[in-house]
Amino acid sequence: MFALIKLIQSLFGALHSEGTPGQLAAGMVLGSFLGLTPLFNLHNALIFAALVLLNVSFAGGLLGWALFVPVGFLLDPLFDWIGHRLLLAESLGGLWTSLYNTPVVPLTNFNNTVVLGSLVFALLASVPLFFVLRWAVARYRVTIGERVRQSRFYKTVMASKVYNVYKMFRP
Amino acid sequence: MTIKVFRWRAVGPLLVLFVIGCVLWWLFADTIARHETTKVGTQIMGAKVEIQSLHLDLPNGKVLIRGLTIASPHEAFRNLLQADELVADLDVVPLTEEKVIINRIAANGLRFGTPRATDGRVAAKSGEGIAGRVLAETKAWASQFQIPVLQLATGKISIDSLDPRRLSTIPAATALSARADSARRAWQAAFDSLRLGPTLDSASATLERLRHARATDLAALNEARQALDRLKRARDRVTALDRNVKTGVAELRAGLAGLDSARRRDYAFARSLLKLPSLEAPEIGAALFAPGAIKPFERVLYYAQLARRYMPPGLLPRASTGPSRLRRAGEDVRFPKEHALPAFLLRSAELSFLLHPASAQPQRYAGHLTGLTSDPALYGRPTSFGATGPQLAAGAMLNHLRDIPVDTAGATVGGITLPAFQLPGVPLRLDPGAVTTQLGFALNGDTIHARFGIRSTNVRWARDSGFTNSTIGDLIWRTVSGISNLDVEARLSGALHHPDLAVRSNLDQAIASRLRAVLGEQVAAAEKQMRDRVDSLINDKVGPVRARVNEVQSQAQAQVAQQQARLDALQKQLEQRLRELTGFRLP
Repeated sequence: MFALIKLIQSLFGALHSEGTPGQLAAGMVLGSFLGLTPLFNLHNALIFAALVLLNVSFAGGLLGWALFVPVGFLLDPLFDWIGHRLLLAESLGGLWTSLYNTPVVPLTNFNNTVVLGSLVFALLASVPLFFVLRWAVARYRVTIGERVRQSRFYKTVMASKVYNVYKMFRP
Repeated sequence: MTIKVFRWRAVGPLLVLFVIGCVLWWLFADTIARHETTKVGTQIMGAKVEIQSLHLDLPNGKVLIRGLTIASPHEAFRNLLQADELVADLDVVPLTEEKVIINRIAANGLRFGTPRATDGRVAAKSGEGIAGRVLAETKAWASQFQIPVLQLATGKISIDSLDPRRLSTIPAATALSARADSARRAWQAAFDSLRLGPTLDSASATLERLRHARATDLAALNEARQALDRLKRARDRVTALDRNVKTGVAELRAGLAGLDSARRRDYAFARSLLKLPSLEAPEIGAALFAPGAIKPFERVLYYAQLARRYMPPGLLPRASTGPSRLRRAGEDVRFPKEHALPAFLLRSAELSFLLHPASAQPQRYAGHLTGLTSDPALYGRPTSFGATGPQLAAGAMLNHLRDIPVDTAGATVGGITLPAFQLPGVPLRLDPGAVTTQLGFALNGDTIHARFGIRSTNVRWARDSGFTNSTIGDLIWRTVSGISNLDVEARLSGALHHPDLAVRSNLDQAIASRLRAVLGEQVAAAEKQMRDRVDSLINDKVGPVRARVNEVQSQAQAQVAQQQARLDALQKQLEQRLRELTGFRLP
């Protein structure tokens, strides 16, 4: 329940932040990498660094991460299949062999079918996802954004920060 | 309005995060390395790998492991080995390629086969991973040698139920009975078609007239001659019928002989239902010792097959199960490259270990291991192992350099005290005492040649109390209780998927000859019992058929003979009377 409230808070916090729709969408796309690919891998350290260093919505990144984690779990069989096809493709054998025997690169675990499949999927999905999210955020803000901001539901959810403080100190 | 691309003020917190990460690594690297080593080791061996402490000294390329325990993948409460201390010299640079290159390991205080408090098997319980699959395969391989236990313990010979429908004599008798009836009807019809009655009556009437005729009565003489011709023709027909009857009777007699053959077949079939104990020496050896002799082969084969999976020949990409995590593990594909380092290489290991650690004078041994690698084609030399000591000589070589891998191993270990064990199927417990064991193993591609031998000079026998009243138990006990030597040899050869197993021991001949003497009478009695049972089932059918055939035969032959006699008598009388009247003999 707490996680759900946090997620809704993040969603509204990001949607009503001062960032542009592009910044929010870019943050969510970077967050989607964290959610779609297995978390503890070297490439995700780079993604996290990009999320922190680039002028994109950090809240959007956290939101994208939270939203795409279940998607990642659901699509793991697809990622496994994609990775299998790519890693065992004869035409790519030379590339993988070179990468595998290059320092540091193997630490990314690119030779794991799920890691490679999910990373390729996330890369391919990132561009359309960015444009769709940017359009959706812009439409939201010009249509129902202000009404939502004034709604009792929005105020209740955002007011639950009091609950967060309570969570920090509860035994 | 321009939007900045970089958030420079975040560099500071990111660096702080990086420093925190480094501190955490410094604090927990040993724990993480220990955890990962035990996890990977457990996955590879198919049994729990435990480490008391592990210290990484990366700047100096050293790893110190204390309290290593590897459980046995086959036995629940036994360790494969324990080591007090292992010191490894690592190449640090290849770690950046996720490659572990160990130049040298010094292992001290190795102990083998020590007991453990908890069940350390993993692959045997889960059946997962490469180790699980290999374990299942070797178990299935070993199960093909399940040898029926000798049924000697009670001395009884069991007999399966005899189904009358499976006896061939009964349908043969039924068919013969039908043929006899058919022959009888055919012969009766043929006899009726002879129409002998009018011929005989006419000849009798002619004879009567001829008795009162004179020599000049030419009409009577002609009539007599015609009657004689008719009688001769009738006799020819009866003779033809007689031949037919004789042929038919011979066939029915052959049918009766066929019933005897069918009875013999039924005896043989019934004998096959007897569960007779084998009285041949080689089979006794296999039954007594094969179940125990297969285990060492199964275990060596398990490790050989594991080595083949983890150390495959060639340089093709290799897929293996990925790391366990909340997400799907997937598969890790390795891409070996010519002239590059293998993913794992242990160049050299010096081993120091104890045998009989619990005894007053434990014996210290030394061994070496070289070239243990995940990519033999890259390393270019086979893996070799050797160990020597006062009562030990062992060596192994895993040559996976070419397409067809060749794995060989040999060991002779003396002074091992094996636990007493129950001999399968016989009421005896054998305590082999201190034995010398020998193992030879060669797996060339898919062809296996292996030998396992146990030799002891001070075996002790104990009798199973459950068989105190068994004749066979007494017999075997008397046979073996005076034997103090034990020499068992098991040989395995042929294609790996279905090799031939031969087991012999010095007990085989002694037991076999005594069994043959005693059980021979029981076997004969059981066979007689089976014959009596077959007889009781088929005599009810065969007896009436035999009687029926005899009846049909005698009835037909009597009928023919009777009519032949009447024809002969009339013919003789007519010819006699004609001679009296004409004074000369008729042609």
